[in-house]
Amino acid sequence: MRQRHRERVLEFLRTIQKPDRPLDSVTETDSLVESGLIDSLALLEIVAFLEDQYRIDFAVIGLEPEQLTSVSGILDLIEREAR
Amino acid sequence: MRNGHEEARVLLTVGQLSEPLTGRHWDAPAVTREVSARAARYRRGGLRAGDRVFLHFGNRLEVFAELLALWRLGAVAVPVDGSLTRVELERLAETVAPRFSVVDDATDGAIARALPPGVAVLDATEPLPPADLPEDAARRDHDALVLFTSGSSGVPKGVVHTHASLAARWSALRGELGLAAYARTLCLLPTHFGHGLICNSLFPWLAGQDLFITPPFRPDLLLRLGAMIDEHRITFLSSVPAMWRLALRVARPPRGGTLRRVHCGSAPLPAVLWERVRGWAGTPEVFNTYGLTETGSWVAGTSAGEFTPADGLIGPPWGAILHVQGADATRCAPGEIGQVWIESPALMRGYLGQDELTRQAVQGGRFATGDLGLLDERGWLHLRGRERDEINKGGLKISPAEVDAAVEGGPRVADVCAFAVDDPLYGQNVGLAVALTERDDAAVRELYAWVRERLAEGKLPARWWLVDAIPRSERGKVSREAVRDACADRPPLDLTRILQGR
Repeated sequence: MRQRHRERVLEFLRTIQKPDRPLDSVTETDSLVESGLIDSLALLEIVAFLEDQYRIDFAVIGLEPEQLTSVSGILDLIEREAR
Repeated sequence: MRNGHEEARVLLTVGQLSEPLTGRHWDAPAVTREVSARAARYRRGGLRAGDRVFLHFGNRLEVFAELLALWRLGAVAVPVDGSLTRVELERLAETVAPRFSVVDDATDGAIARALPPGVAVLDATEPLPPADLPEDAARRDHDALVLFTSGSSGVPKGVVHTHASLAARWSALRGELGLAAYARTLCLLPTHFGHGLICNSLFPWLAGQDLFITPPFRPDLLLRLGAMIDEHRITFLSSVPAMWRLALRVARPPRGGTLRRVHCGSAPLPAVLWERVRGWAGTPEVFNTYGLTETGSWVAGTSAGEFTPADGLIGPPWGAILHVQGADATRCAPGEIGQVWIESPALMRGYLGQDELTRQAVQGGRFATGDLGLLDERGWLHLRGRERDEINKGGLKISPAEVDAAVEGGPRVADVCAFAVDDPLYGQNVGLAVALTERDDAAVRELYAWVRERLAEGKLPARWWLVDAIPRSERGKVSREAVRDACADRPPLDLTRILQGR
């Protein structure tokens, strides 16, 4: 299941990443912002993606920013909170 | 009547300065010590009254001490965006002719190489020996601050404020808004912007109110916004609409009841968003503010009694006379839409080294904002659009001509036109139509690399279209709206695929 989520997340990240940064160069635990893959404000788009695709309601569960900084953090969040 | 050569009185009766993120904190005596030590360092380096100094960093304690040290010596602070490219910085340095450049530990080392020989680079974080506070050399008619905005001709405009114009802005705000609500002010905006520096930070802090300063536009901080307001008992913050599109979605509201007032400016605030910010903030005092760097930022806002948020509603002027004029310079009747002009003692002295541009912008003591609006029967301003060519990316004003200028010298470029495209987060973003003499992926890659070297990241076009030609009128004029509309029917280039050679 995690692998399927991973593919969906990576597919989404490809749509918001900076165009000249290869996604393949970022490991699962690398910071997406610090690695330069995404703009820091793109975190909003990740939030919207998780709300839309996995029905995670951040207004209810709150949000620790660290949860969204890496692919593995996002996958952990999905496994814990997706409905 | 004040004499222009009267002392500007750079007072150090400031509030406390804090960095919530690091826990660093300076009280007023510490600020005085820092200002004194930095002023002595500038003197040792030979700084003289009137010299200009680049500040390549911001949003930390040191920038305020550098600013006051420069002012105390009668020098001019020029805060610049730390993300400027080397090419952009070289152009600014030609205009400014700085005596010093001050950096911090986060400043890109390439900056020093972009400066002309003879410009000494100072490190704002370097420990300095204690020194006595120098005598106040600032005069009211001295230049105090130069802030750069994107120029409509492609050349950046350096907006020059004197001590007198800044003092007029702060005095007007104090008279209109009081100080009580600003007792503990949070600044999340960049301090190289007029909005963040002059109004969000310096207005309350120089009047003795406490200032909490964070790195600008950090989403992780916005996510914690409610908690930060509670932890530091924040009473006021200013903002831009794009911040709220993120914060309202993910940040829990403050619970401590300390937040008394919120300003929102630099970009249109839709009524729906406005109401939601009011609900989140727990105060009706969410003021939509209007201002430009040239007016010392906030020059009007919704401060007078009760109001219902409405699209375009600004409110009464703050220390200014608002004029709405027809194209023939006649005064519009209440309710009639025209060009918005502003008359204020807080108006800039002019654009640095651009007298003709200054004459075009300021006529008869009135500044042409380039915005369209109306005054209602109460004299409240309502904005209805703008005439000037500008892309407003979440409050960052980008001149499409500046983007054109950066692209048009690029490899294989036959013609170019930048324009605003809608963006769900920023409101607007930069779109680019470009005609190339060779239309293959390699040409796009080469051009992208060229543009990256010439435009700061925030100004880079987000969506690109290749076109056969840019339609122009017989007089060579281009309609950016027409180009945008023509591109809107087609998907933009898949830059990710092209740049990664897939």
